[in-house]
Amino acid sequence: MIRVEDVHKYFGTLHVLRGITLDVSKAEALVIIGPSGSGKSTLLRCINLLVEPDAGRVFIDGVHVNRHDINREWVRQQVGMVFQSFNLFTHLTALENVMLGPIRVKGMSREQAEDKAKQLLARVGLAAKANAYPAELSGGQQQRVAIARALAMDPKAMLFDEPTSALDPEYIREVLDVMTALARDGMTMIVVTHEMGFASNVARRIVFMDGGVILEEGHPQEIFEHPKQERTRAFVSKILR
Amino acid sequence: MATAEASVAEVRGQPVVRHAALTRVIEAVIGASIFLILLQVLLNFSLLDAEFWRRYGGSFETGIGTTLRFVGIILPLSAVLGFFLGWLRISRFRTLSWPVSVYVDFFRGIPPIVIVIYASIFGAALLQARFTGKDLAWNVAAVALALHSAAYQSEIFRAGFQSVPRGQLEAAQALGMRPTQSMFNVVLPQALRLSLPPLGNEFAVVIKDTSLLAAIGTLDLFGVSQDFIQAVFLQPGASVYWLLTMWTAVALVYFAMTTAVTQVLLFLERKFHVRGLEGVSV
Amino acid sequence: MGSLEDLRRQRTRTFDTIAAVVLTVGIIGLLLEVLVGRYGLSWTYIASAWPIYLRGAWVTFYVTTVAYIVGMGIGFIIGWARAARVSVRKPGAQGAAVFGVKYTLRRMGDGYVAAIRGTPLFVQIVFVSSVLVIRFSSLDPNQLALIAGLVALTANTGGYQSEIFRAGIQTVHTGQVEAARAIGFSRWKAMRHVVLPQALRLVIPPLTNEYIGLLKASSLLLVIGIVELTEIGRREAFFQGKPFESFAIVTGLYLLITVPVSKIVEYIERRLRVPGLGIQQAPTTRV
Repeated sequence: MIRVEDVHKYFGTLHVLRGITLDVSKAEALVIIGPSGSGKSTLLRCINLLVEPDAGRVFIDGVHVNRHDINREWVRQQVGMVFQSFNLFTHLTALENVMLGPIRVKGMSREQAEDKAKQLLARVGLAAKANAYPAELSGGQQQRVAIARALAMDPKAMLFDEPTSALDPEYIREVLDVMTALARDGMTMIVVTHEMGFASNVARRIVFMDGGVILEEGHPQEIFEHPKQERTRAFVSKILR
Repeated sequence: MATAEASVAEVRGQPVVRHAALTRVIEAVIGASIFLILLQVLLNFSLLDAEFWRRYGGSFETGIGTTLRFVGIILPLSAVLGFFLGWLRISRFRTLSWPVSVYVDFFRGIPPIVIVIYASIFGAALLQARFTGKDLAWNVAAVALALHSAAYQSEIFRAGFQSVPRGQLEAAQALGMRPTQSMFNVVLPQALRLSLPPLGNEFAVVIKDTSLLAAIGTLDLFGVSQDFIQAVFLQPGASVYWLLTMWTAVALVYFAMTTAVTQVLLFLERKFHVRGLEGVSV
Repeated sequence: MGSLEDLRRQRTRTFDTIAAVVLTVGIIGLLLEVLVGRYGLSWTYIASAWPIYLRGAWVTFYVTTVAYIVGMGIGFIIGWARAARVSVRKPGAQGAAVFGVKYTLRRMGDGYVAAIRGTPLFVQIVFVSSVLVIRFSSLDPNQLALIAGLVALTANTGGYQSEIFRAGIQTVHTGQVEAARAIGFSRWKAMRHVVLPQALRLVIPPLTNEYIGLLKASSLLLVIGIVELTEIGRREAFFQGKPFESFAIVTGLYLLITVPVSKIVEYIERRLRVPGLGIQQAPTTRV
């Protein structure tokens, strides 16, 4: 479904992605772990073209997307993204946040978009908060609205960039529950996270990235209990306090 | 003693916030009245001199009208231009942003009265082929003042745009919005709300700047008042203390106008306030 | 490094920069050409007349600096007074009286600043001038004008500077005095050693901008006959028939001072910027 082929990215002289090759199958939930600065976020952004790869190819559902003549807006409708800092539109209510994409980008009518938005908010458990503004919601609630907002575009796949890293501990569970349900429903997803419990439950494969390369990949059990590489072991031991 | 106890009781029993606004207004009015009375006593003039107002009243009205007319030209012009320039200023294309920077540095670097004087000289002569009338010089100078304020307003709008957290732009892009769409639906609504208070200050400055047009002979409030001075010392029965009455009255009018404008914009900002957005530093 | 995309982006970048320079220089050149074409440009005039302009510039500088310094004293005192917290109240008649006095003083300060900010500088100048004409009618008119101008400018900058000082002190004040006193500083010592040093760093950029603002505002003194730079320019433009040359010299002299200083202030602010801390919002003298 998503294929990344030998992708490189430079920020100035900093070689952030050094030849990443990755395949994500349909309905697969892939988890990427790694220390900060390893390029995980950059990799995600190369997939929905918020960042342009300097070399290599990115395929979404068989289509080569990092071309000069590609319609970026179309690409971003194929994959939805959820950010670490939620990035909800502060001047709109939760409902309006979810409705905005379908109305402006997909050209849906207001009524249709509203129905869809209400359904999605119910799906993430926030039907009651439809008319609340982001400032009135807790972090966990905001992130769930952000997930609903991304889902409103009917994406083929979802990218999660450390979705729970900015949350207070008591709110992490509710967001992970939504993500787990999403994975069970068959959504293709790539999740960058430190939440090992989630990774073990949901992912078939875990990828460990460090210094811009993929050092190791395998089953959650393999990675956590029998990591092959030294750096993998060091990293895993640090987060599995 | 009584007042102290009364205020303490107020604070304990009532929501202090609502009181604050009203008390501030009442306070201001009382304070201003006391100040004006003291001023008149100290400087030995009267704001209510009947003879003065009989002679000056007409000019006073015309002057205020002209000032308001100029304000009506300059404010919208400068706001639209300033917004447009602010937008260009944050473009990633230097071809768009550099000329605007130079424009802003120029107009912010020289005194507005210099702009008024030379605009009236150059503008009138350059456009004389097409338009005529002594009003031409004045209108050109007014437009020049609009250009001047636009430079300041472009900085206000620019700060507004840049105050919208970058993550929101990213989120809009991630949803598949085109650049223009994310500008209109996400950045603009928030940037405009953030810009309102500093904009109110700038509008107040525009109102005060219209007085500069008197330097080229305009008959705005300041101009007619200056003309009246010639009259004061020529006519019999004129008192030199009329100067004080006149300028105090003129000051009050300007004060009323600037206060009105800033309050309106503060009110708008409160009405459309978005919680979770930081203020603008200009 | 060096994919096709990369090269393409490099090229647009250079093209963009060149186009920007060409466009800017082109527009300026075009405007200058129109003006020079219509009004002429006489280098001999400039060579011979520049001392006159410099004399005007000197008056501008002198008036601005005197008003600025005296205004700073006023501004600091009023700013400090307005920054003091008035909410804490001691019980009893004496407490109420002290509160009353503090409150009135503070409101007076607020009123003063509101008056300065709410009325045009033109009006402030002629008002002061009128008062002096009436009270001290025996004075030589030139002296009178100069004094009136200085008083008006000083009052004006005093008002704006009090805002700057107030904002600076208030930004630092919260909690710091308490913390300092908890260590053992007296209230005065806390002010002197804790609050003021920090406040000083905060107020320097806006105070510099205020000087520039005052410099430009001093041009308004021509309305009472003070011959500063703009007035020289105006006279030369009208009576010597050299509008473009006078425009160029006057504008050039102002920009020579204002632009570099503003850029330096901007640079310093950017370097020292602490997110959320700063009083860039403090208003400075605008006409």
